Order: sequence, then C-alpha cells, then structure tokens
Amino acid sequence: MQTYRPDRVVVESGSEDSVIFDNLRSALPDVPFVTVPDPQRYWAERDGAADPISRGKRDLLLMRHKGRFLKACPGSDGQVCCNYFIINFASNCPMDCSYCYLQDYLAENPALKVFGNVDDLLAETRDLLAKHRGFLFRIGTGEITDSLALEPLIGFAAATVPFFAEQPNVLLELKTKSNHVESLLGLDPKERVVVSWSMNPQAVIDADEGLTASLEERLDAAWRCQQAGYKLGFHFDPMVEYPGWEEDYRDLLHRIFTRLDHRRTAWTSMGVLRTTPSLKRVMRQRFPATRILSGEQVPCPDGKMRYFQPLRVAMYRKMRQWIRESAPLVPIYLCMETREVWDQVFGYFPSCGKELGNELVGAEPRV
Amino acid sequence: MALREDITSYARERGIHAQAVKRWLVLGEGDQRALLDLSRGLRLGGNHFNDFLDWCVEISLRDGCSIAAIIEGKELAPTLSDSRMGRNDRLKHAKEALRRLRYPRLTRIEDEVRGRLRNLKLDPRIRITVAPGLEGGLTVELQAGSVEALARLAREVESLAGNDAARKVFALMEGKEVADVPA
Repeated sequence: MQTYRPDRVVVESGSEDSVIFDNLRSALPDVPFVTVPDPQRYWAERDGAADPISRGKRDLLLMRHKGRFLKACPGSDGQVCCNYFIINFASNCPMDCSYCYLQDYLAENPALKVFGNVDDLLAETRDLLAKHRGFLFRIGTGEITDSLALEPLIGFAAATVPFFAEQPNVLLELKTKSNHVESLLGLDPKERVVVSWSMNPQAVIDADEGLTASLEERLDAAWRCQQAGYKLGFHFDPMVEYPGWEEDYRDLLHRIFTRLDHRRTAWTSMGVLRTTPSLKRVMRQRFPATRILSGEQVPCPDGKMRYFQPLRVAMYRKMRQWIRESAPLVPIYLCMETREVWDQVFGYFPSCGKELGNELVGAEPRV
Repeated sequence: MALREDITSYARERGIHAQAVKRWLVLGEGDQRALLDLSRGLRLGGNHFNDFLDWCVEISLRDGCSIAAIIEGKELAPTLSDSRMGRNDRLKHAKEALRRLRYPRLTRIEDEVRGRLRNLKLDPRIRITVAPGLEGGLTVELQAGSVEALARLAREVESLAGNDAARKVFALMEGKEVADVPA
C-alpha cells in the first residue's frame, strides 16, 4: 500500500518541540508546513469543498490535545461490552473505507489531526495504570483513527511501545488495516503489545476498503510482527454478506491460520456490518455504487442497522466453526451484540464487561 | 428538461426532501421517469418516497437491474395498476411487494415463523408476536382473568418447549434453518 502523503501540514504554534513534529519533518521534506495559532480554525477557513470528509484527509493537522486522552470505549446501548479503553492520539483516518463510521461520527470535525503532546498522553496513562495495579487494562489506539496508517510519518507507535512494554498491567492493542509495521520490528513488546488487523476477503477490500493494504500485505505484516515477538489479533469486523461470502471468509481464515501461529493470537472478534441512517446518507453521497448497503439490514434497538438476527447469527456460527477448525484455543468475542445473540452463537453470554475483558487478557478461552 | 421540471415540481408539491430530489435527478432518464410515474400514481410524500427510492436503488445495485425494471416488474406493476384498490391500499400493497423484493430472506422467514406459530393452534389468550426484522426473539403475552387461568395458560406455554413445531420456530429465529427456508 502507498504511504499517505498530505498536501500540507498545519502545525499549532508550540507543537514544534514534539517528537511527532520532528518525525513529520523528516518523513515529509517536500511537503509545505504552516505554523498557526489555531490549526483547526485555519483549516476550516480555507478552501471549502462539496465533500468535507475527503477534504479532511488532504491536510494533516498537528496540534495539542486539550482534554483527556484515555477513555472507556462507549460500546453501544444494550450490547455486551468488553471493558476496553481507548487512547485518541489522532482523529480521523487517511484511508477511505465506504462503511467507516467516522464519516458520520466526525462529520462536523473531519480534519485529520494528530496530537503532539505525547508526554501528556503517557503521563495520564502512567497515572491510571499506577492507580489500579490489580486490574489488567486492554487499551487500544484504533478507535477514531487507524493505529498504524500514519506511522511512517509520525512514529507514534514506535515512541510509545517501549513505555507500554514496561507496564505490568496493560495490553496495548494497535489495530490497523495497513502494513506499516516497520517501526515496530526492532522493539521488544515484552508480551504487552497486540498488533491486530481488521480482516476481510480481498473482494471486500477491493470494493469497500479504499487506500488500505491488500489482504496479502496485511498477512505479511502480521507474520513480520509475530516474528518480532508481538501477539496478534484479528477482527472480522465488519463481516459482509454477499453471494460467495462463505467460501471467501473460509479461505480468509485458512490463509490466516496456515501462515500464522494461532497460539500467538491474543484474540479474534466478529461483528457484522453496522450502519446508522445518518451514516447511510453519507455513504450514498460518497460511495453511490457500493453494494454494501444492499444487504438485508434492519434497524436494531440500539439505533444501528445490522443483518437481521437469524441471518447474522448463522454467519457468526459458521465463522466460529471455521475459526475453531484452524485455531481451537483462540478467544473469540462478538463486538456490539446483545446477550441473546451471544447465547445463540456460543451457548453462553458474559455476565458483565469485566468478565469478558478478563477472559480476553488471559483466562482460559471458552470453546 | 421537461422531465426535470416535472420532478422538481412534484417534489415541491409533495414535500420531498432536497437531498432525495438530488439523488432522483442523477438517475438515468428511464429510472427518473419510472419513479415519477410511481410517485404520482401513489401520491408519495417525503417519507414514503425515501423508502421507495432507497429500496429501489439498493435492489438495483444488488441485482444489476434498472429501477424502471423493478417498478415495471411482475411483483410491483400489477398492484400499481389495480384500479379496484384505493390509493391507500395500493400504497400498502406496493410497499409490501417492494419490501419483499428488498428483503427476500427476511420476509420468507417472517412468513414461515408466523405460519408455524399459527399452526401451533394455541389458546387465543396466548399471544406470540414477532418483532419487526425478527430482532430480539418472540414476545409471549398471556391474558388471564384468574390464577387458575394463568396457571393453565402457563402450562400450555411451558409445553411448547417439548413441541417439535415450536422448536422449529426457534430454530428459524436462531438462524439454524436460514438456508433451508424455501425461495
């Protein structure tokens, strides 16, 4: 895959002393840098465009993050939660998946931003981990951005993995659709870092995951990370149903687990395609030819649209069986599903997010 | 040009949202015309129009056919031209026909579940309903006027757990027979 290259980097005054700024300067010697007091305002006042989401990806803003970096994952109303925490080191993503919820979630604030005050981020994390030494945290950086898509430019993961590797009570998850793992390979994760991929058959990548790494590139990057000592994760999310999906997903699982050691896989998750009415509106404007909205999706009580329940339960069951055939011990969980769906797929449901979180960080997986 | 004016004029008159009009006007001319004829025939307002537009576009992308072909197809056309029905009935039937095209497996399973529930021939004071989209399982309601009646109805409901027909209903709801529902 090609490395993202912005038209321009807009820097907040005072952010020039950050490691991210130095990395950007080295990686983008030919790209203009503009330093301003308020990059967000500067960006908003510049050229308008019919598609603000696409425009948001053209410039890269480097600024200070003013609020808290660490948050509990919001999950979704009424769904089983997995007790996950998120760090927002950046906002928005240079890739362009048709189904990406950020198109709607960040519609009012679509500028691609990276936050330079990494020291504040690490201090906040250190405090939280120190306060709760008895709790093993799962923290991810891939909630409102891709964890590694900007890595060749900003070196954020390379700058923070050594910190996380030294913490006794955390698993850091770097979740990506890229193959930008080069900066991680020389570091020692000390069993504290999981590099995970959002996986789909090549047919889905071609149709709906614009500017992301191909399946082969993702597999190759995962293999390199495994060789370098990282645990791996795989997220089959969003699973897309189309004629031939069964063969494609079965083949996908075969390719993953014949190439990679399932015993070094920390977890896998499954979740079907989810949209909302407002996301569908954006998708229709930006990707009018996508067939992904033509599946049999219905509104669910949490306001999201999913394939109707018997259909998606049947999909999850099949996937679970195929995962088990290749990787009998890998923990599998469902993302944003009800207890009832859990029960229909696995024959049990976690009593609370804490139980599921604990299962994922080390307890014996349920088959 | 005349078609465009007809569409914008209809949209203004019936309160069709500007965004929907924009989507309408980027369709091919045959599809624009077919949607206009359908909308006029059913006197579609904003919300119904949005449903028809969304479903037609989604079916068209899925099946690789034109919107005109969907509207003029055997599932929809007879209803649209049925002069025995009033506007409200034609709208209701047309929308259901289009929903069946848009959600073929869901509607088949809904029919199958409802048919199997009817065949259970339960006491009429036991009401079993299926949520829209089959989301969230079945809802069972009992209407009892005395403790004895409640106990009797509860026993009848309990007996369903061992009933093959009831098990088949739940097998469908749990996605175990999705592939077996006949087309």
